[in-house]
Amino acid sequence: MRMEKYIELEHITKVFPGQKALDDVSFSVNKGEIHALIGENGAGKSTLLNILHGVFPATSGTVRIEGKEVHFANASEAIAFGIAKVHQEISVIPEMTVAQNMMLGKEPKKRGFIDNVKMNEIAQGFLDKLHCTFSATDKIGDLTAGEKQMVAIAKALQLNAKVISFDEPTASLSDAEVEVLFGIIRELQKNGVTILYISHKMDEIFAMCERATVLRDGKYITTLDLKDCSEETLIRAMVGRDISMFAKRTRPSRCQKDNVILKVDHLSGEVFSDVSFEVHKGEILGFFGLVGAGRTEVMRAIYGADKRTGGTVTYNGKPLMCKIPTDAVNAGIAMISENRKEEGVIPNLANMDNIAVSSLKKYEKGIFVSDAMKAENSRNVGEKVGLTPNDPEFMTVSLSGGNAQKVILARWMSTDADLMIFDEPTKGIDIGAKAEIYSLMEDMVESGKTIIMVSSELTEIMGMSDRVIVMREGAVVREIPREEFSEDNILKYAVGGK
Amino acid sequence: MKKFYHKYRREFSTLVAIIITFAFFGIMNSTYFSVANISTIITQSVTYGLMGIGMTCVIITGGIDLSVGSALALVACVAAQMAKAGVPIPIWVVLSLLIGFGLGLINGFLISSLHLQPFVATMGTMSIYRGISYVITGGFPVLSVPKNYRNVFSRNIAPNLSISVIIFLLFAVIMTVVMKKTRLGNHVYAIGGNEDAAKLSGVRVVFTKTMTYGMAMLGTTLAALVLVGRLGTGDPSTGQGYELDAIAAAAIGGTSMAGGRGNIFGTVLGAILFSALKSGLITLGVDTFYQYIVTGIVIVIAAYLEIVQNFFMQKKKNTNNAAKA
Repeated sequence: MRMEKYIELEHITKVFPGQKALDDVSFSVNKGEIHALIGENGAGKSTLLNILHGVFPATSGTVRIEGKEVHFANASEAIAFGIAKVHQEISVIPEMTVAQNMMLGKEPKKRGFIDNVKMNEIAQGFLDKLHCTFSATDKIGDLTAGEKQMVAIAKALQLNAKVISFDEPTASLSDAEVEVLFGIIRELQKNGVTILYISHKMDEIFAMCERATVLRDGKYITTLDLKDCSEETLIRAMVGRDISMFAKRTRPSRCQKDNVILKVDHLSGEVFSDVSFEVHKGEILGFFGLVGAGRTEVMRAIYGADKRTGGTVTYNGKPLMCKIPTDAVNAGIAMISENRKEEGVIPNLANMDNIAVSSLKKYEKGIFVSDAMKAENSRNVGEKVGLTPNDPEFMTVSLSGGNAQKVILARWMSTDADLMIFDEPTKGIDIGAKAEIYSLMEDMVESGKTIIMVSSELTEIMGMSDRVIVMREGAVVREIPREEFSEDNILKYAVGGK
Repeated sequence: MKKFYHKYRREFSTLVAIIITFAFFGIMNSTYFSVANISTIITQSVTYGLMGIGMTCVIITGGIDLSVGSALALVACVAAQMAKAGVPIPIWVVLSLLIGFGLGLINGFLISSLHLQPFVATMGTMSIYRGISYVITGGFPVLSVPKNYRNVFSRNIAPNLSISVIIFLLFAVIMTVVMKKTRLGNHVYAIGGNEDAAKLSGVRVVFTKTMTYGMAMLGTTLAALVLVGRLGTGDPSTGQGYELDAIAAAAIGGTSMAGGRGNIFGTVLGAILFSALKSGLITLGVDTFYQYIVTGIVIVIAAYLEIVQNFFMQKKKNTNNAAKA
């Protein structure tokens, strides 16, 4: 009955400088359907949504809605057409109230002035529907991440949209909030709203969605009916090969169990407390936990990027107190941030300078830095990490995610760092480059370096680590040796088992 | 050659603009082309140039320094007083430079250690430095600086060639080397491009930024000494609005106000263009009031050209990449 095609995507291709993000993708979504869009990081889901929402146009291909071809020049045109989104990164203006944020650009007016009373009333109405505990007049900056997410949903409701896409909507929600959200989504569906649902959480997808379209490396793989499909089939379609094939140690462990290189004792910071652990030389130590568990913050405190409030760190037998990251770098510690764009790549610099920035002393002749030596280093290390194009003069900012990450790896491989802290080293990187980065990590431990790998990808954690430390709510809850690795075992502690 | 052009395309356009400016005013008035006039243009560009070079370094870090005009007056007054008090010339030069460097370090401290916005911090010191100049002089210019002091920074070493021009060019060369060829300079560009990334890469952000503000003020100090040499006075009310001229020289020379991009050579060209324009308008007998308008228009055009040029570069890059993909 509801089998009419509502959204039809035909031969959508999107080319970014240096990267084909979508390659001839075609599929359709039925009216009133909850349709899952799944794929790994970098599979092209966000790109596809951005095209649908008019953020940027497709390089080629057509989008049809109710049989009519549509071309949105910008996001507002898509919204006016009735296509709304609830994004994983919620953009709000923190100084304004919930109502002001929700009604931005379409405030009710009275004699030319904004009618605050009416605006708050309307906004409150939508918040009540969502059973929100905060009020429309609260300042949005004071809300929790989950509450902000609810505001984003209320905003989409208020637009009276015909299509709503949800991009990882439950990432920052509590269980109770998730239940409310699911209720809302089902209600929207009853009212004939078509829903695109992006999530990494399999149980959510099977609970909520009717069909799932799988993307991989920018290509359309398949659309599966979830009623007669197992979780395994779906994962296999997503990953394309056996998961263990690419996130797996191919060489023997280099872990020297009785050689402690880094010892962290009762370390505390703003969002974590009393964290203790040891890292052995030559080891790849995995740090697993849900978003917000405090893994990144622990690493930043060790590295001197954030302040610590208590505890001690011992590195190579000597106490280590990093006031600024420079201290850590001088001690031989490197850190790759999970935010490659914000905290990794320096956009105005070419590859050679991006690579050289942490090891400039090496290229000094007297007080002068030699450009020739920087370029030579860039070519050599670029070759090692498989950078393409391996051109010292190429602007790093124009590289694809995987290649940009290789530049950052090259930056630290140019230093004499012995301990590498990798925070989500393969975030937003295509599968091919991922495999290369895993192989580089093995090269590093083989050459005597030690790695701490913070990751939210279980396959990566299980495949690469010699040992895993699980964090939850700012505390270390469990240390798991490789022999006891299993998805259930690790997840149990991350989520809150005993 | 193509690569060279590619790297310095922005400086090429400034150079072309200078040539067009000279050609235009030359055709309008033949005396414009005289050696004496060109010499005057370059000599007059020394003040904006020296200040602009420092400003360029500061802008590359992603900051701004509004206090340079006031600092110019303060250094000029102190230097004039020291000269009248008979401080030996070498010590006089070193002390003046140290005072200027110190004024810059104060700006750097406020901005990098106390995390004040560069605009606000230097607006504060702009007023403070100006105030100090008035206090130490009682509001009156320090007159009749002895000739031997004046000669150090302002005398003709050949017909139509002032030593101040040599100092200007020398400072430009030194700062180019510092910015392009030392660790400090490399760090300045990294900070201007992405301060957080630079910090995590091990760059001493606080130290580097503080030093940059200090270094930048050395240019202003030299400009102050040149001014004292030229006029023989240290005037506490001098240099008002010069910060804008310095910013203009940097902007015309292709320094990006967003930080991370720009170079000293471009600023030198920018200063000369700026000076050529002012001089040309005077030769044409254009009223001073209109000169402000014309200069402003040139700055706006320069900024717009920057955008246009980047747009075409980006477009070209995209087509190249698309062809590759």
